[in-house]
Amino acid sequence: MEQFLQQLTNGLAVGSIYALIALGYTMVYGVLKLINFAHGDLFTYGAYLGMTLLTSLLLKDRLGMVAGVLVLAGMVMGLVGLLGVILERAAYRPLRESPRLSAVVSALGASIFLQNALMLVYGARYQVYPEDILPQTAVSLLGFEIPLMRIVVFLASVVMMAALYLFVQKTKIGTAIRAAAIDQGAARLMGIDVDRVVLVVFLIGPALGGAAGLLVGLYYGQVNFTMGWIYGMKAFTAAILGGIGNIPGAMVGGLLLGVVEALGAAYLSIAWKDAIAFCVLILILIVRPTGLLGERVAEKV
Amino acid sequence: MKRASSLALAVVILVSGTAFAAETIKIGLMAPMTGSWASEGQEMRKNVELLAEEQNAKGGLLGKKIEVVLEDDGGDPRTASLAAQRLITKGVVAVIGTYGSAVTEASQTIFDEAGIVQVANGSTAVRLTEKGIKNFFRTCPRDDEQGRVGAAAIEKMSAKKVAILHDSSAYSKGLADEIRALLKVRRPNVVFFDALTPKEQDYSAILTKLRAAAPDVVFFTGYYPEAGLLLKQKNQMGWKVPFIGGDAINNPDLVKIAGKDAAEGFMFLSPPVPKDLDTAEARAYLASYRKKYGEAPGSIYGVLAGDGFRVVMKAIEATKSTAAYMLSGHLKTGLKDFPGFTGRISFNTKGDRVGELYRVYRVEKSGDFLMQK
Repeated sequence: MEQFLQQLTNGLAVGSIYALIALGYTMVYGVLKLINFAHGDLFTYGAYLGMTLLTSLLLKDRLGMVAGVLVLAGMVMGLVGLLGVILERAAYRPLRESPRLSAVVSALGASIFLQNALMLVYGARYQVYPEDILPQTAVSLLGFEIPLMRIVVFLASVVMMAALYLFVQKTKIGTAIRAAAIDQGAARLMGIDVDRVVLVVFLIGPALGGAAGLLVGLYYGQVNFTMGWIYGMKAFTAAILGGIGNIPGAMVGGLLLGVVEALGAAYLSIAWKDAIAFCVLILILIVRPTGLLGERVAEKV
Repeated sequence: MKRASSLALAVVILVSGTAFAAETIKIGLMAPMTGSWASEGQEMRKNVELLAEEQNAKGGLLGKKIEVVLEDDGGDPRTASLAAQRLITKGVVAVIGTYGSAVTEASQTIFDEAGIVQVANGSTAVRLTEKGIKNFFRTCPRDDEQGRVGAAAIEKMSAKKVAILHDSSAYSKGLADEIRALLKVRRPNVVFFDALTPKEQDYSAILTKLRAAAPDVVFFTGYYPEAGLLLKQKNQMGWKVPFIGGDAINNPDLVKIAGKDAAEGFMFLSPPVPKDLDTAEARAYLASYRKKYGEAPGSIYGVLAGDGFRVVMKAIEATKSTAAYMLSGHLKTGLKDFPGFTGRISFNTKGDRVGELYRVYRVEKSGDFLMQK
């Protein structure tokens, strides 16, 4: 039982990172029906920018730990969001009217470009965050020890996801995003500026991905220019699992994937952990082809 | 008229092309310049380019300049087979590299069919030299030797319960199997044998499971990025079990990733690290390396690539030929106790380096790697 609970917290921490990244995939897909394969690399940029800003601006020394990290998070999210907007302008907008496959190829190209640009700037070696940023203590919860950072990662993800959910449900621009996701043409006829919606989506999605990168950097300490690939892949899977295009679906999918991985590793085999997770994905897609919370496609046709 | 001039131009290009090719001896370097082992690849390049420069300053080889032709294998077997074909079309006479065993394996037969000598620098998987490929050599030792040294180190720690963790790669699984087989005949009991997925960053699920098996020592046969994270996360869990690892963990970045506290006490097997190379040639070489690049070589595999380059040059010099059968004939029978930077180099008929190379290292409190006697 103790091992079960321990593995559950392991899974939730990883899963919340998957969920944060998955939101970027799912928001872009919802509005543009495009899989932004460069999203994983935007996540990596978040991790690298966080490291650079942290070491060059001495935020912790100037503002203290909590304020310093919050300001850092704001800066990283803003910059990665900006990068997302530039990416949309440069790689996707010129192809908006082209067949969907062209945009996918452009996304893959953007991914390779971003990854190797990062390698040229920072070099190929593994980079490390400064060690003393956040306390490495563990807290006692329900009788077993959990590293404090893991709770921070989980809570930060949940807060950001909740904020996004409220933003999309309660604000005017959120309503516009939902409208554009349902039917772009009709939304445009209703006076919604779809280009602006796309812009907002490419600001928020990458900003959340960048925040996930920063959390990973702060927690695990090690960053590498290829790290976006595996996280991107897992998050993409999580988005599909929850129903791509659906925001709560991405959150559920991410957490579920993390937990299934951890429990699969614990009770079956570690080497087969990914295979187990993907088997679960296949089973769910057989029963529900549009994912856990996905809308039924058949009705739209 | 237009056609005539373009024809003339083509002839000029062709003639100058062949004339140029005759002036240099091309040696290929296949290395992971991108991908997760890119730092190893860049070290390989620095070593080989420095040595080529030095040799060219001395007048080159057989009166010709040496040209190093670099191809990136991306640390990936598929990319490697393309890189190998590109090197062949560029007309290299021998190839140095590469690092990962699976990557080397993908290129071996391609070079063999083209009749080109290949000297790998970091590929320790046993089967690479067991296939009867005539022109394949390596300057690094093999995993069966590493397995023997590893099993001996575990016995010396008098551990009763041993956990073995690998990462499913050709090298890592091979070494893990070697050690498990050796331990089976002797006393220690292997209580855990499984694989992690490289490049993930959260290994807490694996560590939690490992801990439940309560081993006295954990042998991890993977690479340094994962080893660093395992040590760091193990430390965060407050788990004190000793970890020991294979030669792919020998990289200074290990301590950077794990942090000094978490890395202290970690032991690994490896050919001697650059700073422990103590022959006169090696010391002179380390000095000129430092002069050119402003730092000492970080990885032994870069230096092993340099040694591979030097034995190939030596063979070309001795045989006054660049034909593969002459070179590999010389490497197998003519070359005895060549003074390499990493010790004396001789090859057996399989193309393996002769002699014991592995040492046991321990990470000190300062983060330095200390050779254990």
